Amino acid sequence: MIEVKHISKTYGKKDSLLTALDNVSFSIPEGSTVAIIGKSGSGKSTLMHIMSGLDHPNDGQIVIAGKVLHDLKGKAMDSFRATEMSFIFQSFFVEANQTCFQNVSLPLEISELKQRKTKVIEALEAVELLDKINAKASELSGGQKQRLAIARAIVNKPQLIFADEPTGNLDSVTGDKIIDLLFKLNKTNKNTLIIVTHDDELAAKCQIRITLKDGKIIDFKQRKKVSK
Amino acid sequence: MRIIDITRRSARNLKQAKARTLLTALAIGVGAFALTLTLAASNGAQSFVNRVISDNFDPTEIIVAKDESILGRGDTNKPKEYDESFGSAVVNSGASVQIKQLTDKDIQKIRQYPEVSQVREGVTLTLEYITRPGAKKYVANAIDFSPAQNPEVVAGAIVKPLSDKTVLLPEAYVSSLGFKNPQDAVGKSITLAVRKSIDIASILQNGIPSNTNDIQELAKSSSALEQFKIAAVLKKPTTSQPGTELYLFISNKDAKALNDIAKIGTNQYRKYTYAYARVKNGENKANIATVQARLKKDGYTSQSVEETQKFLTQIIDVLKAIVAAFGFIAVIASVFGVVNTMYISVLQRTREIGLMKALGTRRKDISRLFRFEAAWIGFLGGAIGSLAAFLLGTVLNPWITKRLDLGTQKLLIFDLKQISILIVLLVLVAIFAGLLPARKAAKLDPIEALRTE
Repeated sequence: MIEVKHISKTYGKKDSLLTALDNVSFSIPEGSTVAIIGKSGSGKSTLMHIMSGLDHPNDGQIVIAGKVLHDLKGKAMDSFRATEMSFIFQSFFVEANQTCFQNVSLPLEISELKQRKTKVIEALEAVELLDKINAKASELSGGQKQRLAIARAIVNKPQLIFADEPTGNLDSVTGDKIIDLLFKLNKTNKNTLIIVTHDDELAAKCQIRITLKDGKIIDFKQRKKVSK
Repeated sequence: MRIIDITRRSARNLKQAKARTLLTALAIGVGAFALTLTLAASNGAQSFVNRVISDNFDPTEIIVAKDESILGRGDTNKPKEYDESFGSAVVNSGASVQIKQLTDKDIQKIRQYPEVSQVREGVTLTLEYITRPGAKKYVANAIDFSPAQNPEVVAGAIVKPLSDKTVLLPEAYVSSLGFKNPQDAVGKSITLAVRKSIDIASILQNGIPSNTNDIQELAKSSSALEQFKIAAVLKKPTTSQPGTELYLFISNKDAKALNDIAKIGTNQYRKYTYAYARVKNGENKANIATVQARLKKDGYTSQSVEETQKFLTQIIDVLKAIVAAFGFIAVIASVFGVVNTMYISVLQRTREIGLMKALGTRRKDISRLFRFEAAWIGFLGGAIGSLAAFLLGTVLNPWITKRLDLGTQKLLIFDLKQISILIVLLVLVAIFAGLLPARKAAKLDPIEALRTE
C-alpha cells in the first residue's frame, strides 16, 4: 500500500507564492498500475518527485509499505531509493557511450548487489535486447533505448517504478509496444507502476487514474478491483 | 558503490573524452617530466660526487689545515693577525694571499695525538718541466699519491704505497713525450726538473757578488733533475678533483724531497698548506669527531671526508632546488587545467549525475567518482611525463656522458622508487585539484539535473 497523505508543496515566498500541490491525498494498492494525468503545471511532476523522495513536501506524508518516506535520512533514503524504486524518463537518459550491459548494471553497482551478470542478462532478456548486450547505447533506436531504460529500471527488482512520459519521445506504434512491455512486466514482477503522462489513451489502460489540476485532485478513478 | 566500480566508471568517463583527458594530463606531464629529469640528474650528480670522494679520499682521513680559508671557512673581510708560519698560496687569477701554514712542529704535534695513526703532509709541487731524451720539455705539476686514490690505469700497475722514484703519468703526456703507446711508456724513465731556490749556503760562504751578471745568475738559480720510472699510465680521470687532471703522482717521500729542493732557503721551506691525518678506527664516526675536536682545540681547522662530501653536495642541492622549483610551477599551473577540465566534465554529465542520484547513489560516491577521475588524469600525466623523461634520458645518456667526458659515469640515473613516489604525489595533487568540481557534482540537485536536456 502506498499512501499519500495531505501533501502540500509551495514554491517561492509571499507575493510570488506558487502552490504546486494543495492537500493531495490518495492511496494505491501494491502492484497496481497508476496514471497521474494533467496539463503541464498541474503539479504531476512535483507529485512524482515527492513520492520518490527526490523532493520534500511542505506538509503531509508519503507512507510506503508502512514506512514514512521522508523520515528516512541521508543514507537510509539513498539506499531505499536504490533498492525499492526506479525511474523511466521521457528522454531515456541512457548513457550513449556505454554498452547496454554497463547501462543496465548501474543500479546494481549503486546498491552493491551481487550476481550482476545474471541479473543484467535476465533484465535484457525481459525487454528482448539480449543480442545487444555489448552494443553501445548510441547504436540503438529510440524504442530500443527506452527498452534499455526499462531493463535498467527492473534489474534490481524494485517494488515501485516511476515512468515520466515514457512514450513522449516515441512514435505511436513504438510507444504502444513500450506500454505493453511495461504492463506485461508489471504483471510478472508484481511491482507498482506509476506513469506520469498527459496522454489520456495511455491513462485509460491503467487501473487507477488520478487527474490533477492546479495542484488538486479533480478526479480519481479506479477501473476495477486490483487483485493481489 | 564499491571502490572498484567507481574506479572503473571514472576511467570509462575519461576514455569518452580522450583528447581533453590527454591534453590535461600532458600539462601535468610537463611537470612530471621536469621533476623526473631533475631527480635523475641529481642522482647522477650525487653518485658522481660519491665516486669522486671514494676515488680520491680515504674516509678514515681528515684534512687538516692551519688557515681557515683553506677549507672555505675564514672571514675574508676581517684583517688577519700575523703568524710566523705565513706563507703565500697562489689562488685564482694568479693573486697571492698570505695564509697560515702547517710547520714540521705542527705535524709532529698532530702525530702525537693518541687517536691518530699517521699524518701525511699534502704536497703539491710545481715542477719546472718534465722531459725525456729526444722530447720537448713540458710544464707539469706533481702531487703525492694517496693510497686512497683509485685512478683508472691504461697500462702498467699501481703498487700501494707507491715505490720511490716511480711516477704515475697521465695518458695525455704519452704521445707528447714521444712514446708510441701507453704500454711503451711503462718502465721507461722520464726527467722531472725542479727549480732550486736561491742557495743561501753559497751566499753565506761567498758573500753577495758585486757583479750584476753574477747576481742575475744567482737569482736565476739552477734546476735539479731527477729520474723517475713510469710505473703506470693513467686514463684521463673522470672523478679526480677538478684542476688536477694532468697531475703526476709520485710517492709522498719523493714529493717531500723535491719540495725541499724547491723551497729550501725560502720562507716556504717545510711548510704545508694542509695535511692528512689518519684516524685509528676511523670507520667509527665518533673517533673522527674526537680528533676533529682535539684539532679545533689546538687551533687547527679540519674537514672530514663526510664534510667534503656535504660541501660538494651543497652545490648540487642548489641546482636541484632551482630545477625542482620550475617543475613545481609547472605542476601548479597544471592544477588549474585539472580544475577546469573537471568542471567541464561535471557540466557535461549533469544529467548522468542526476540519474545516478535519483537511483540512490550516495553523495560521497558521486564526489568520489570525480575525484577518481582527477586521480586518473594525475596518474596518466605522471606516467606520460616520467616515461618521456626516462626515454629521453636513456637515449641522451651516452651522448651526454661522451660530451662531458664522464667515462663510465652516467649523468642521469633513474630510480623506479623515486618515480613511483613522484607519480603518487602527482595523483594526490590532481585529487586536490578535483575537490571543488567533485563537491559541485555531489551537491547537484537531481531534479534540476534531470530537467537539463
